[in-house]
Amino acid sequence: MDLSLPFTLFSRRRHVINSGVPETAVSIESLDKFFPPTQSGWRAFLQPFVPSTCPALRGVSIEVKQGEAVALLGTNGAGKTTLLRILATLLLPTAGTALVAGQDAVRDPAAVRRQIGYHAGTDLGFYPRLTGRENLNFFGRLNHLTDSYLRTRIPELAGRFELAAALDRQVRTLSSGTIQRLSLLRAVIHEPRVLLLDEPTRSLDALAAADFRAFLKHNVLESRGTTLLFASHTLSEIEYLADRVAILNEGALVALDTPAALKTREGATTLEDAFSRITGHGPHALREPVPS
Amino acid sequence: MMRTLRDLLLFFRRDLLIASTYRSPFVLELIEALFGAAMFYYAARFVDSPQLREALPRGTSYFAYALIGFVFFDYLHAALDSFDRSLQEARDAGTLEPLLVAQVPLPVIIAGSAVYPFVATTVRIAVYLGWGTLLFGFPLKSANWLGVAAVLLATLLAFSGLGIFSAAYLLLFKRGNPGKWFLLAVSSVAGGMLFPVNILPDWLQFVARLNPVTYALDGMRGALLDGAGFGLIARPLAVLLVFAVVLLPASMIVFSWALQRTKITGTLSHR
Repeated sequence: MDLSLPFTLFSRRRHVINSGVPETAVSIESLDKFFPPTQSGWRAFLQPFVPSTCPALRGVSIEVKQGEAVALLGTNGAGKTTLLRILATLLLPTAGTALVAGQDAVRDPAAVRRQIGYHAGTDLGFYPRLTGRENLNFFGRLNHLTDSYLRTRIPELAGRFELAAALDRQVRTLSSGTIQRLSLLRAVIHEPRVLLLDEPTRSLDALAAADFRAFLKHNVLESRGTTLLFASHTLSEIEYLADRVAILNEGALVALDTPAALKTREGATTLEDAFSRITGHGPHALREPVPS
Repeated sequence: MMRTLRDLLLFFRRDLLIASTYRSPFVLELIEALFGAAMFYYAARFVDSPQLREALPRGTSYFAYALIGFVFFDYLHAALDSFDRSLQEARDAGTLEPLLVAQVPLPVIIAGSAVYPFVATTVRIAVYLGWGTLLFGFPLKSANWLGVAAVLLATLLAFSGLGIFSAAYLLLFKRGNPGKWFLLAVSSVAGGMLFPVNILPDWLQFVARLNPVTYALDGMRGALLDGAGFGLIARPLAVLLVFAVVLLPASMIVFSWALQRTKITGTLSHR
């Protein structure tokens, strides 16, 4: 048991669904997030000062144990990205608490950043005129990794992610999927205690996605005991990686359990079916819109 | 301290690497500086007269006076541009969020983004003065280099506060910055760039006295052209340091507040 955790964490244990593993890696308690309505015209000038009235998260409470993988599942706008961004200290919650490895994301964001690896789910986030290696070196050094560590770690991970050829090319010449793999590599390079991934395989081809999932499962979750909180629309990915699934619907947590328990509870044969029954959305709600 | 210096060096190295991928601008800037120095030399020859020399502080040549005013005005440009330009570039390239998630304090990110632009501006100024000295007789012999370094440092600190205010504005309002435009416009008239402020009407002289550019140029001309000792440049130096002591912490507080606001409104990465 981590005795450095504040006493309050122990009292929150009662909310843990699968108790037994002692250490809490992520503790979210009654989290609310409201955004201000978007202003247009001359009112756009007042945007930074408009009161936040549009709910994105409402009273979300989740505890994630050390070494556990929890998937966030929900339709677009359900609040998955908002939740991850609060934990990554990129957003401030309106109310409630979010602790990562016992550190408060609002009161001590620097301490939280020392514990996390974050992937935003986009193919942005790199300096386009620098090579993949130069980018990774820069961000690695910012995370206090030494040159000698990076010299061995970058090629090692690049080989694992099939990025060796991309390392010495300018990022602006790389495909969207390759940049996303670079971003995933950046998220894990410093071996964070908690990994926050927003749609980690969205732009990856099927083989690269499967390869990355296997890497996460064996090299990150099983061998290092890293905690994983990830948002995904890919149900096979969720069933492969997640110990538990948190289903968000319009900002509220409506279910939190193992994939098998969710299916059993809803009398569903698939996770998609269970999701539909829990949220009332049709199965199509989880699928990406097909471009016309 | 060492950690901070290492981080600042990282940002400098990053920007140097990016700049080195554009090769031709280095050559073009070298040529531009030559033509710039030549333009001031011939303009000065056209207007120079014993009366003008007498009217200028310390009886210097108008060429030297105007060239220093013009090139050191670049620092104000660099200060006002570098913070918000790097913020804008980071936002557009999507690197702002990875930077803010990295284990590096916000003040280091802000300061780091300005290291390369300030070094590049210093090199550009050196090139201008180099051309001026080599080809047009710019008087560098009597310069007090320690004094130059001290004025330069105080100028950078004072101007950086203005730049960080500008970046905070950009963070909140996403585009443009009327304050930056206003400061540059006012400084070009009431800053002593091309003419001494004592020829201005009283109210503009008052404005000039509130403007850090006036003191930066005054100190720089004293140290570069007159070889003035620290006693003579003490006043502009002290005023610049007062500006720095007030503006830097105030601007950091405002920037942190603006960042908090964007984290509340969810507009951190919005363009």
